[in-house]
Amino acid sequence: MNLVKWARLKSPWLLHFNTGACNACDIEVLAALTPRYDLERFGALLKASPRHADVLVVTGPVTRQVKDRLLRVYNQMPDPKFVVAVGTCCISGGVFNGCYNVYPGLDSIIPVDAYIFGCPPKPEAIINGVVALLKKLEAS
Amino acid sequence: MQEEELQKTEKKSAYELFFDIPVGPQHPALKEPAFFKFRVEGERVVGVDVDVSYNHRGIERALEDRNYIQNIYLIERICGICNVAHTLCYAQAVEQLHGKEIPSRANYIRLMVEELARIHSHTLWLGVAAHEIGFDTLFMYVWRDREVVMDLIEMLTGNRVTTAINTIGGVRRDVSDEAKDKVKKGMNILEERLKYYRKVALNDPTVNARCSGVGILKPKDAIRLCAVGPTLRASGVKNDVRRDDPYTLHDEVPFNVITFDTMDVFARVLVRIDETLESVNMVRYCLDHMPNGDVRIKLPLSPPVGEAISRVEAPRGELIHYARSNGTKNPERYKVRTPTFENLPSVSEMLTSKSDYEVNIADIPITLASIDPCFSCTARMEFRDVSKGKTWIWSLKELKAHCSKSRR
Amino acid sequence: MEENEVSEALKNKFGKKILEIKVSKKGEKVAEDMLIPEIMEIKVSKRRVFVTVPIEIYKEVIRYLVEELGFNHVQAMTGLDTGKFIEVMPHLGRGITITVRTRIEKDRPVLSTITDLVPGASFHEREIHDLLGVVFEGHPNLTRVIVPEGWPENVYPLRKEYHPEQPKPIREVF
Repeated sequence: MNLVKWARLKSPWLLHFNTGACNACDIEVLAALTPRYDLERFGALLKASPRHADVLVVTGPVTRQVKDRLLRVYNQMPDPKFVVAVGTCCISGGVFNGCYNVYPGLDSIIPVDAYIFGCPPKPEAIINGVVALLKKLEAS
Repeated sequence: MQEEELQKTEKKSAYELFFDIPVGPQHPALKEPAFFKFRVEGERVVGVDVDVSYNHRGIERALEDRNYIQNIYLIERICGICNVAHTLCYAQAVEQLHGKEIPSRANYIRLMVEELARIHSHTLWLGVAAHEIGFDTLFMYVWRDREVVMDLIEMLTGNRVTTAINTIGGVRRDVSDEAKDKVKKGMNILEERLKYYRKVALNDPTVNARCSGVGILKPKDAIRLCAVGPTLRASGVKNDVRRDDPYTLHDEVPFNVITFDTMDVFARVLVRIDETLESVNMVRYCLDHMPNGDVRIKLPLSPPVGEAISRVEAPRGELIHYARSNGTKNPERYKVRTPTFENLPSVSEMLTSKSDYEVNIADIPITLASIDPCFSCTARMEFRDVSKGKTWIWSLKELKAHCSKSRR
Repeated sequence: MEENEVSEALKNKFGKKILEIKVSKKGEKVAEDMLIPEIMEIKVSKRRVFVTVPIEIYKEVIRYLVEELGFNHVQAMTGLDTGKFIEVMPHLGRGITITVRTRIEKDRPVLSTITDLVPGASFHEREIHDLLGVVFEGHPNLTRVIVPEGWPENVYPLRKEYHPEQPKPIREVF
């Protein structure tokens, strides 16, 4: 295991991007970072800039207007980058599938590494998803 | 991303030039996709332009294409934080179309869950506001105590955030006596903590320095620009849908309309903390006075031809739904007007410097947060079973068949 | 002010005027839905008033309600496509809700703005402009607010003839 990979496993920095969510997933992502659940014990830290981030955490269905901005944020992240889709709307469009302004899922725009189901997923599920991603990284 | 593309404009000022600072849709100061363009003169903000189209999902059109039962779940996902207010408003509108009253016990449960959701929303906001003024200790404290109310909501409704408790004709779940005791205990913890936060807000120099005199909205302007909810009440105008147009049991359950007259962000903090304390008392009243009986009546899928307006005081302010039925199982038109949309002109006013007070760039995040913006309101396969380690793939047809089976 | 008092006040103030408009329109050919009732059509229920007014006095009615009766809060503005016409309904008032309904022709959807009376109506009118294509004459800033960038001109998602179409994926999904 080389040094860079070791560092990445111990401190995955997250960038949270809301692509048109109803806020339920966002507050659960935030709740996962606060004292009860404390995602930060895995070294995860919420960052504000895509240039600092390793993992893009996307919530919500992707709307037409946000699509280009999402691609821009994704392209600004340094390689290797990982994407986590949080919530059913983000994975497949959810209840909004069929609406004229919503893409059918995040993986129709960018490649996704981990899916976290739920509407909204509980903070435990989000922690489980991040840990699953870390395991995937370790194996790669 | 803190992207500052400074664009030269033609107008001259004392600083020779105005600059436009774009903020959003992905920005540390914003938790949601929205775009603001601030026109600044040095450090002073002199103009603001807002674009909320990032969150437009086309819900109003989708509501016309789905039936009344499916719409409950779509309405619920307009906004995750005030989902109880949205489903309550929707259920009331459809019941008005039917012309039916729901059982009294259902009304008590509706009101109780609505007030619990208000506690959850206001404590959430208090944490976010503390984060915006750089007081992260308070943010973490508040969010730790917020888990108390989240647990209660999960126990009563089955989910932490998206509750799905209200349905057409009543509520989906009854409240047991055991649950009542737990809610009572939770309310005692919350009341104690909230009183502590009130003390912190009143005495802490950080909160005072960052909030007092910032984001001023005068009562005259608040009325002129049609502000609603805590934003309006913090400007000293006594207005609350729960008092003016009582729904469920708000004409029966006693509560005070909280107002504050300093008109700034500080007033909005205190109005929300005090409202949360009122909600705690309302939940207690509901628990003590809840009658026995049914919690739901059955109503047919298609309401008769007609129209209805339903109003609810959501945590962010007055929420209005307009429904028109044409006698079929799909609504003819369903209109949702959310509180943040109504407060947009007011926040533009708060963020513009006047002759008697100045808005600095550093005050933008907390001023923006002070209306408790919720832009998701504003605009409107493969399956893995982890526990069994089984993977299967459904075609769209099979999936739809499965969905229609589970849709009663 | 109670809902019945509002309804009486409106009848007294505008009842005569409506008759005049009806007489002057007698010669013209007007479609069935556009025929104006003898007095204004007023429906009253608990804390709700629905008033249907012809387009000619739409603004006068709003001005009367806002300036003289003091209903200076626009709760919402609903736009609605009935097939032949577009209905625009501002909902006024803080305690009770007064809905002023007017019908405009779909081919020429022009209505005068009420932002000069209630500045808070600005975003509501922009929303209806986006979703139904109603042009509000005299609005200071009638630009797009809801629909995404690059949305085609003359396509209005809430009109009945529009069929929702989901955007195509830009990458192959496995």
